[in-house]
Amino acid sequence: MVDGATAGLFLDAAGMKALGAAIAIAVTGYASAIAEKDIGTAAIGAMAENEGLFGKGLILTVIPETIVIFGLVVALLINA
Amino acid sequence: MSRPKEMTRAVIVGHKSILKETIDALHDTNLFHIEDFVEDESGFKISKPFKNAEEVSKKLVKIRSIANYLGIESKKPVVQKTDSILRELDSKLNELDRTISAKTESISQLENELKDLESQKREILPYLSIDLDFEYYRGYESLRVFAGTVKSSLEESQISSITQAYELYFDPQSKAVVLFVAKNDAGKVYEVLQGLGFKEFRVPERGGVPSELLRFIEQREAEVTRRIESLKGEIESLKTRYADFILASDEVLTIESQKAELPLRIATSENAFIIDGWAPTEDYDKLVSVVNSATKGKAYITSLEIHEEEEENAPVEYNNSKVVAPMQEIMDLYSRPKYTEIDPSSAIFITFPLIYGLILGDIGYAMILGGLALTIKKLVKSDAVKPLMNILIYCEISAAFFGVLYGEFLGFALASLHTEHGVVPGLIPGWETITLFEGIGGEAFTFPVHRSHMVMTMIVVSIVVGLLHLNFGYLLGFSNVARNHGMKHAILEKGSWMIIELGAILAAAGYLVVGGSALMYVGAIVLVLGIVMLAMGEGIAGVVELPSLMGNTLSYARIIAVGLSSIYIAGTVNDIAFGMIWADHSQIGFAALAAILVFMLGHSLNSVLSIIAPGLHALRLQYVEFFGKFYQGGGRKFNPFGYIRKYTEE
Repeated sequence: MVDGATAGLFLDAAGMKALGAAIAIAVTGYASAIAEKDIGTAAIGAMAENEGLFGKGLILTVIPETIVIFGLVVALLINA
Repeated sequence: MSRPKEMTRAVIVGHKSILKETIDALHDTNLFHIEDFVEDESGFKISKPFKNAEEVSKKLVKIRSIANYLGIESKKPVVQKTDSILRELDSKLNELDRTISAKTESISQLENELKDLESQKREILPYLSIDLDFEYYRGYESLRVFAGTVKSSLEESQISSITQAYELYFDPQSKAVVLFVAKNDAGKVYEVLQGLGFKEFRVPERGGVPSELLRFIEQREAEVTRRIESLKGEIESLKTRYADFILASDEVLTIESQKAELPLRIATSENAFIIDGWAPTEDYDKLVSVVNSATKGKAYITSLEIHEEEEENAPVEYNNSKVVAPMQEIMDLYSRPKYTEIDPSSAIFITFPLIYGLILGDIGYAMILGGLALTIKKLVKSDAVKPLMNILIYCEISAAFFGVLYGEFLGFALASLHTEHGVVPGLIPGWETITLFEGIGGEAFTFPVHRSHMVMTMIVVSIVVGLLHLNFGYLLGFSNVARNHGMKHAILEKGSWMIIELGAILAAAGYLVVGGSALMYVGAIVLVLGIVMLAMGEGIAGVVELPSLMGNTLSYARIIAVGLSSIYIAGTVNDIAFGMIWADHSQIGFAALAAILVFMLGHSLNSVLSIIAPGLHALRLQYVEFFGKFYQGGGRKFNPFGYIRKYTEE
């Protein structure tokens, strides 16, 4: 049986909230990074062919940035 | 909100005898965007270039290769007369060509000699420690000469045990060996040498003592290098002497070649020509009068009615005031607007700096970056850099404004703040934070706005800013569609989105504020109505896009998110720096100096980040969220036939 003190150690509400917020940021940040890596590589490749594509490449590259913004919003909501 | 400059489609027709005058006149006005003629079944053909075309392009190639070789860059122009340039062109060009090729030839000869000397030197070097004239190495009948190196040391006894008839020179340091032995004993001696790892050297063919030869070669090398340097200096002086001439004649020849090759782009028959193109409507009359006066009224010039499909392809020239003009760079980075579209430069002129300022909002960084932008604008004369610096200045003005609103200076709060945990002092004594009203989630909305203490409220503010921005985009889209396809399409395609938003807001308000009243059902009905309209306007694709509305709106939360990250970086730098200073107990010592260094480096880093992070995010909110609501782009650049002279005049 788990006694009260240990349970409190693991399931402390404030700590769990902080952990949840950290996971929200970390995982979404990682997800954005993976997505941007692939798009960014392709965008650089396209730019090497045609420099005029810089604007479009930039836009496509930053689209997944929204994922981490969602993560941030969730993290802030958890802590609010 | 401006539209691109209105264009008139014009056609110029005339006899071939006045083609040259017409082309000259068109080129001088620099107003006519010529449509390239594509041969079809009409019987018209493209013409041949003027007779001088080949000669002009040959000279142009020559002058550009010279300019390239000399490394001539564009500089502050010295304006020269075209005809004087043309008069001197041939003689000067030939002279320049001759001098440069003579000089480069002698340089390459000298460089070859230098390489030759280098290899001679390499041959001599091993013999340096054995100062024996090279003449002694050859011409023997009964002697064999070994010259080379060994790996380990060579004792004289090793040779003397084989034969007495020998003469040995050995340098223990470089392990160079020169050995003269009788031919009869050569075989045995060679075996011994091989056992020591003997490697034979070539004996230089020339005679002389190595040390003297080396001195001679080195002298010669120095002399050759000096001559190469002086020749290079002469070429450099040619560059300064002829730079103006080269730049001016490049310009004159470019103009000539543009004119001479124009017949390749227009329709001609046996005796007549047709030039088809676009001119800005406001300048059309000027164009007509210039062409008429140049050809004494012999050319026929008329405007054509523009069909709808032609209008899509009309060349696009921006029509913005000087203040808004820098924003065209941001437009071109994405894509030039179509002729039929609204040009959103003036919208971005407001929204881009606004969002940048909302994100950065710091007086200190605004001053640093604004000063930087002003300095660069003063120092760098490049036409490509100026608009970018102007955009940066607009952004920093906005950032300074929001800096006052947020009360922030390099991450410090300017006004003191009273919280439950005590008083957070501000940088300006006596400036107290005033609570204006209750914010969201138990936060107080204050002036100045302490962003890090009212995150939830600021998220909502950011999203409201986003909603306004998005709806501004829908309105622009509405205007675009209404102009090109009629009011009904506009309401179904763009109006439906606003109705959907309205329905969602009503339903949410009914649910949250009033608590599940009739308002909620009204909202739901409006929402469904909006979706039906959208489905009618854009088909199933529009309905699939629905969730993106939420994504786009939430995306504006980055305004506060990126802003907070900047505050935290600045705050961390300040904490570290001031922590180090206090630790020093008011002595000016190492820690204080290090603290100043940390402070400077940290804030320089954050200044650079303050261009990149808010800039890119503000840009993205324009490109992805805002433009997605109305903008297509893909217009052709208005590229008039002509040339903007810098180095010459008529």
